[in-house]
Amino acid sequence: MAVGMHAVSAASVHQARVLDRTELAPGVVLIGFDAPDLVDVTRPGQFVMAIPPGGERAATALGVYEAQGNRASILFFVCGPRTRELSELREGDHLAVSGPLGNGFTFTNARHVAIVAGGVGIASVLLPAQHLVRKGIRTQLYYGARTARLLVEMERFAAEGCEIVCATDDGSFGRPGFVTEALAEAREKPDLILACGPSPMLRATAAVAAKLGVPAQVSLEETFACGVGGCWGCVVPIDRASAQAPGFPGPGEGGSDVVYARVCKEGPVFWAHELRW
Amino acid sequence: MVIAPSAVDLSARIGALELPLPTLMGSGCYGSGEEYAPFVDLSQIGGVVLKSVTRWPRLGNPTPRLVPTPAGMLNAIGLQNPGIDYYLRHEVAKFASRPCKVIGSVAGFSVDDYSYVAERLAQCDELHAIEVNISCPNVASEGETFACDPYLTGRVVRAVRSVTGKPLIVKLSPNVTDIASIAREAQDAGADALAVINTVRGMSIDVNTWKPRLGNVTGGLSGPAIRPIAVLAVYEVARAVTVPIVGQGGIETLSDALEFFLAGAAAISIGTANFTDPRIPVRIVDELREYLAHRGVRSLREIVGKANVGIGSPDQYEGDEG
Repeated sequence: MAVGMHAVSAASVHQARVLDRTELAPGVVLIGFDAPDLVDVTRPGQFVMAIPPGGERAATALGVYEAQGNRASILFFVCGPRTRELSELREGDHLAVSGPLGNGFTFTNARHVAIVAGGVGIASVLLPAQHLVRKGIRTQLYYGARTARLLVEMERFAAEGCEIVCATDDGSFGRPGFVTEALAEAREKPDLILACGPSPMLRATAAVAAKLGVPAQVSLEETFACGVGGCWGCVVPIDRASAQAPGFPGPGEGGSDVVYARVCKEGPVFWAHELRW
Repeated sequence: MVIAPSAVDLSARIGALELPLPTLMGSGCYGSGEEYAPFVDLSQIGGVVLKSVTRWPRLGNPTPRLVPTPAGMLNAIGLQNPGIDYYLRHEVAKFASRPCKVIGSVAGFSVDDYSYVAERLAQCDELHAIEVNISCPNVASEGETFACDPYLTGRVVRAVRSVTGKPLIVKLSPNVTDIASIAREAQDAGADALAVINTVRGMSIDVNTWKPRLGNVTGGLSGPAIRPIAVLAVYEVARAVTVPIVGQGGIETLSDALEFFLAGAAAISIGTANFTDPRIPVRIVDELREYLAHRGVRSLREIVGKANVGIGSPDQYEGDEG
């Protein structure tokens, strides 16, 4: 039941055509593209590197939002020059992505799963939600955002069969405050928690999971350079004993019980209790 | 005279090492090559310079290790590696299957470290050459000291030279007053080639937290931001030495690559550009073939150093007064 035991297979550069572009909310963009080979091999929780159309900036790591038939999609918040450039793509434009990359979520034999998503973290949790619901597993989405208009795609998750609990920082929709507070007060304890979102939310999720005694996997966001495991820039400290720890001499051989694992390669999904963050 | 692109000779020689293509992938940027294999036909690049290995395991620097900057990025990885023992036991064998040249890289904290690790790397048939990284800017003080001092550069290179007959590439730092004098020392001490340049020291501060953005505080700047610095360094080193130069620093396009060849580089190394698009090195090779054929040039070697017109020649100021 370790995360990260699968080898990345069949990744490649996909020269895709943009099929559709939707502005889900101001500054929140969904882009669908034609990439059947990517769809075939993507597992829930994996990501792609979007190669900048203008070639001027580093590639951008984005979770694969949807993957069905010929169409995959990415969902992102416009927050800088790179995402702005991607947001300007229109139907018929070309988009190159490399992937799928990283190791996705691991589905244990859980019967009741709580997915925690914060903000743009929603972009990496549709595939796991679909996977779980299709297997008949009770799937809850704990979904938090700064404000109501940023709670995008709720209808979609509801239509997929998720139970949804919402929270907004400003109280404009759902419970006021953080969604992790709702998780902490849940009447029925899930037997697996999957989370994706900003780092403070993931830490809070890890703390709640530890208190509830429920195993949790968190999908980390980090600044990437290569995105493929080549540069060791995006690391996170992790127990050396973790199945996801990179090969490294142990204590007594000049090593340490903590090592740095690559978020892009060994992750982005880690067992929360194995992180030393 | 019509030359077919396929007839253009792009090979480059680094000491005894013949590179069929003049494109190396920079140390620390490309893993062991395996990481990029799904995205690039590795037979279409000249070679991979592996991540530096040290005598003892190194955990590397605290996070964050990367900061995007205008036209480039800062990194401070800190030579994370499992140490030479583990490396030889578990990693080196994998390199044999690469369809391109594989160049080992040694880093250290004393002259003895370098010769110890280099001697052990020299036993590996999987490695076609060794790069001596005397210029890592991201390890507590000592890392770059060697490349910033002609005397220490000479000592390290002599020590490594004495333990291996493999082609030696010495990687120089731009963070020096006179790179030409360091280059001469490295050549005199037995370097077969010089890699010019490593990253430029830099720093970025978060104005919200009032703290440095990098866990290591300082880092190394790479990408197009440093290209003119690198081109000048290649130019100056080319005037000072006769050994081949591997030019590097912000190369992303054919035009960038040509600047380095014309400044005096026999080969180039590509690092940060792979993070933008892993197809860039192969694209540059294809375009270089077309370009040279179009210009009627049969061999890349014919254009190496062609832009060398001297530095600060008085002639260029004559008649400038009007």
